[in-house]
Amino acid sequence: MAKYFFKVLSAATLALIQPATLSAESCDSVQVVRPVSSFYMVEAGSSHLTDTYLSPIKYSGWHTGLDYERTQAMRFSPDKWVMQMRFGLGFDKALNSPGNQSMLSGELHFSWGMMRRWRFNGGFSAGAGGSALLDAGCLYRDRGGNNPASAKASLMAAATGYVCWSGSLGRLPLSLRYQPVLPVVGAFFAPDYGELYYEIYLGNHSGLAHCGWWGNYFALENLLTADLRLGSTTLRIGYRGKVYSTKVNHTVTNVSTHAAVIGVGGEWISLSPDRRLSKEARIISTTY
Amino acid sequence: MLKRLLSFVALWAVLAGCHEVEEYPNDPIGNFEALWNIIDTRYCFLLDKNVDWDEVHERYSQRVSNTMTSRQLFDLLGEMLNELEDGHTNLMSPFGTSFYRKWWTDYPQNYDERLIQQYYFNFNYYSIGSYTYGFLPDNVGYIHYSTFEAGLGSGNIDLILDYFSSANGLIFDVRDNGGGNLTNVEQIVSRFIDERIKAGYIIHKTGPGHNDFDEPFAYYIDPVGGGHLAWTKPVVVLANRSTFSAANNFVSIMKSLPHVTVAGSTTGGGSGMPFNSELPNGWGVRFSACSILDGSGAVTEFGVEPTEGCAVDMDPDAAASGHDTILDFAIRRLLDRADN
Repeated sequence: MAKYFFKVLSAATLALIQPATLSAESCDSVQVVRPVSSFYMVEAGSSHLTDTYLSPIKYSGWHTGLDYERTQAMRFSPDKWVMQMRFGLGFDKALNSPGNQSMLSGELHFSWGMMRRWRFNGGFSAGAGGSALLDAGCLYRDRGGNNPASAKASLMAAATGYVCWSGSLGRLPLSLRYQPVLPVVGAFFAPDYGELYYEIYLGNHSGLAHCGWWGNYFALENLLTADLRLGSTTLRIGYRGKVYSTKVNHTVTNVSTHAAVIGVGGEWISLSPDRRLSKEARIISTTY
Repeated sequence: MLKRLLSFVALWAVLAGCHEVEEYPNDPIGNFEALWNIIDTRYCFLLDKNVDWDEVHERYSQRVSNTMTSRQLFDLLGEMLNELEDGHTNLMSPFGTSFYRKWWTDYPQNYDERLIQQYYFNFNYYSIGSYTYGFLPDNVGYIHYSTFEAGLGSGNIDLILDYFSSANGLIFDVRDNGGGNLTNVEQIVSRFIDERIKAGYIIHKTGPGHNDFDEPFAYYIDPVGGGHLAWTKPVVVLANRSTFSAANNFVSIMKSLPHVTVAGSTTGGGSGMPFNSELPNGWGVRFSACSILDGSGAVTEFGVEPTEGCAVDMDPDAAASGHDTILDFAIRRLLDRADN
């Protein structure tokens, strides 16, 4: 078991540091090609924000965001393991129910993970694995005085997976995919109940980092997409729903967003000029 | 097994999806309860002021009803907040802001800006930002700093201190200074010290209980350094009851310095760093949430007393003839120290 773990770990490290151009390589006599699947997505929808450090009132408004997603079969076991890297940013603006005060939210997130995948008959496939999730953001309420903002930062280990069906809509190749991401354990930042950021500025850094688990840190992302392959380009439409809820030091933060997603992407192979793609090459796609 | 696990995760996700936040209806009773709860769980001086907040709820809840107009509700809630006797606690509505004013209205003002400008400077003085300064008779420097809201560039402060380099002493007047940013307090204090000092403590709440506080955290101020000018000759800080909030903090720190005398009257207090919150109807609430203690760990919410033997009020008769008796006291004090 330990041997297997270290194999996965070293493969993961290699995958991080190796350049993307080495995505086609020979494996014994058969050349294995691992195309990179990349998607650029934009999303827009609604948001609900509550942060009792700022206000006990729930704010509702709109959400928008940009996301980049990259997947590739892992080198050490390309048929079974895929890597997924995601980077995104989000921005929300919401009003309280009387409509006289606004709250802004900005967020950056990055994740890297691996999933074991299985292929089934009928075009179905599924995957399950984990990822490291790095989040940073801030909620800001105007007229907040000495407590105008609530900073967020976390590093979590998350469980993730997907189910996918690949088929066609008429003559148009189509993939339907659902992927949840559920942080399980990690660490996150939160000031104390009545602590000013000024006190942190003065040097009181004790008690700011907290161990995150489902009891005090719950987040869930659901991504449902339909990928329509239009030649070499793929059009993605879908839905992304996010729930983020923490309760620590008697302070509750709830952020939920529901957004329509549209994006473009595709698969690409990067080859060296002196290494041509052989006719027998096995192309191992991550998504179809 | 996998099915069971997935079912458990799905069920848990639904049940624990969001942590609950208590909500109040947007009607007079709901807004009253929301305000009472904010103060009950977050206000930092309930014990220091010996306020029985449950008794306040009992008394005021009998007077609130859902048939009240907005102004009636505002007046009632403002009156309830006044029970805290805190100049940092306000209710903010679209038609007005409630204030507790007795912290200064029940005391003599002890400051007349025009009197000084006219009779001591003949309207001939320098002004830059919130600073007014010039030479008083007997080679005494005088600076009045009107608010800590606005700072001044380090180079500008150098020029002011350099102007007074030949003075026997300096009077730093923060009467009628209602406070502002604590970073400006640090900036000015750093000009009056030549070694690191303990400025005080900051103590925040750790939970909704009235006695839920963290250990006091000591904070320090360093000398200005960087080639900037500092003042280590005698200083008299002038204060009155309207010296409040950050200015109150400034006086408490300056009073601890050996070459500084505080003269005038007890400051207005306001040592609670205010937080802002809001009610379901959108009215804003400001309240003291985090207490700043002086260097000895004492609460300064009720004001900082002058140095022993330096409590002075303005004499109205003397003022009528162009004399600020507090300022005159400060000048004499500096000259006496220069003679000694």
